[in-house]
Amino acid sequence: MNLMSHLIAGFPDAETSIAIADALVKGGANILEIQLAFSDPSADGPAIQTASTIALDKGYSTKQGLEIVKKIHERHPETPIYIMTYGSLAFTPGIDNFVRMCKDSGVSACIIPDLPFDCDEGLTEACKKHGLENIPVAAPSMTKERLETMASKGFKYIYAALRAGTTGSETTIDQATLDFIDTVGKGGAKVLGGFGIRNGEQSKVLSKHVYAVVAGSVFVNIVLGNEDSAEGRKKAIAEIEAKARELVG
Amino acid sequence: MTSTVSNNGFFDKFGGKYVAEIIRRPLDDLEAAFNKYIHDPEFLEELRIIQRDYIGRETPLYYAPTATELLGGAQIYIKLEGLANTGAHKINNAIGQCLLAKKMGKTRIIAETGAGQHGLATAAACAKLGLECVVYMGEVDVRRQQPNVATMEMYGAKVVPVTSGSRTLKDAVNEAMRDWATNFKNTHYVLGSALGPAPFPDIVRTFQSIIGEEVKRQAAERNIDIAAVVACVGGGSNSIGVFTPFINDANVRLIGAEAGGIGPNVGENAARMTGNASREGIVQGYKSRFLIDEDGQSMPTRSISAGLDYMGIGPQLAALGESGRVEFTAFLDKEALDAVKFFARNEGILFALESAHAGAAAMKIAKELPKDKALVINMSGRGDKDIFITSPVFRPEKWKEFLKAELKRLENNEDIHDAEIMNN
Repeated sequence: MNLMSHLIAGFPDAETSIAIADALVKGGANILEIQLAFSDPSADGPAIQTASTIALDKGYSTKQGLEIVKKIHERHPETPIYIMTYGSLAFTPGIDNFVRMCKDSGVSACIIPDLPFDCDEGLTEACKKHGLENIPVAAPSMTKERLETMASKGFKYIYAALRAGTTGSETTIDQATLDFIDTVGKGGAKVLGGFGIRNGEQSKVLSKHVYAVVAGSVFVNIVLGNEDSAEGRKKAIAEIEAKARELVG
Repeated sequence: MTSTVSNNGFFDKFGGKYVAEIIRRPLDDLEAAFNKYIHDPEFLEELRIIQRDYIGRETPLYYAPTATELLGGAQIYIKLEGLANTGAHKINNAIGQCLLAKKMGKTRIIAETGAGQHGLATAAACAKLGLECVVYMGEVDVRRQQPNVATMEMYGAKVVPVTSGSRTLKDAVNEAMRDWATNFKNTHYVLGSALGPAPFPDIVRTFQSIIGEEVKRQAAERNIDIAAVVACVGGGSNSIGVFTPFINDANVRLIGAEAGGIGPNVGENAARMTGNASREGIVQGYKSRFLIDEDGQSMPTRSISAGLDYMGIGPQLAALGESGRVEFTAFLDKEALDAVKFFARNEGILFALESAHAGAAAMKIAKELPKDKALVINMSGRGDKDIFITSPVFRPEKWKEFLKAELKRLENNEDIHDAEIMNN
């Protein structure tokens, strides 16, 4: 199965975020979603916001973030890197300029949830120009009409933020979610699906229905609380590798 | 003619609906409901009666004779929005949106608040209309605006301190957005300023325009010839509310007063339209001018008035500023404090620190205007709430002694009659 795993560049620091990427790849992740920390990540939960704040408090900048990305790319040239961030960080330096900087750092796709596909400030076009993919994020609450429009736009990948029911120890994916995944992929897009995956059983169930399973905050949560000591960071890195291995199955 | 409503969410190049798809549906549903009810005579009549009997509209347009004489220029008029129930203009929007939410079948209301005035107004509106209310408030603001927290709780609202990010207004907005994305089926998010993603700038302006409509009517009834209208601008809800009916009246200057804080440098103020700390950006769902750095990260802001202490400005005001229709100017904390004192002593009117920025603007420009014309100041709120901020400035020693004695009394569980006698 394909696992797209997430980290934040510069969290808890540059060196450790590179080690986290190493651990994820070693554990079997074959796509890295690297988030550029933003001061107001309103589409993320509290864990990622806290981690982003920690990175920003250390004086982190987009330039430094992309330097980390570049180092990770040089260490793992076979592993595609998708940048995830917010519109502000792409729009402020100029969308074309931002995408070019990503390209120069070895990035192969952009995920920017608050630049909607039908009002993206030229993101899709800039990505095309520089040979990157723009990956829109679909949500189950979208109207069928809007979702179908997104699905028919010819995106190579669509990130599906899923909702799934967990009953006891058994993860179930209900019919509504399966229908949603179907609609997302209707226009031929490969679906990257995630819903706050925590364990191997959940990823196994989901992997049957999507191109890649997305695991995000589970890794950030492993680091949070361990970031202040060398020992804590080392422990977190080992745990991340084991978790990636568990999720890949 | 300048359009006073958005073009599909945009005001020239500003505005829009730059949000993740998880929040798109509630915005689209809200837009449809708003467009329906704002033309529904039954809804409008219900709103009108609440405005009259509960908010206490219309609010007076007060002629300020002493201020006029002392400032030596145009006749000073003050629109007393501070006399609206709950003490500020925020209730106009809170009631409008809560009533709309009720029509939409929502049972739970969430709101963000900075100074606490919008939270307070929303809490009151929910109590009046029988809705559950949760208010997100940055942990820093919870501390500096305790009186408003206490009152919100009195109205039955749950105040949730936000500890993420900078723990101020913008973080409260992020938290409210998250809540809404998860709970929109039964929940409406009452955004308090004329900003955020469409349709909020249009909705908030619509409910706040009653301020300007009243000013226009009051002026016509009393043959007042308005040369200029001044208002403070944080996000911009009171200013766009008072300006809107005058946008296409070229004879009326429209002046927005921003928070100059303690100086012109980054982190010292909250001036988006003046100075050189701001730039165009897309943050919190809309395109406008923001205090963000060259990467697009939000920068710290500073103002003595919590209500103006925010990095962004409503998109319509940004557009009106760039076109030159609205003139912007910034005033320092100390100029706002001087204005509070000036109007309190000379007119018996206590401005909120936010509104005092408009007062400061009037004090500066009154003499530029002819004596037979009127200068209208929108006093968006009254200053009772600022007692914890103004007392340490105006009477620091007495205030300190009072707080110490009060704490001691509470710790000893004594009745006020048995408390230690204060000497000064």
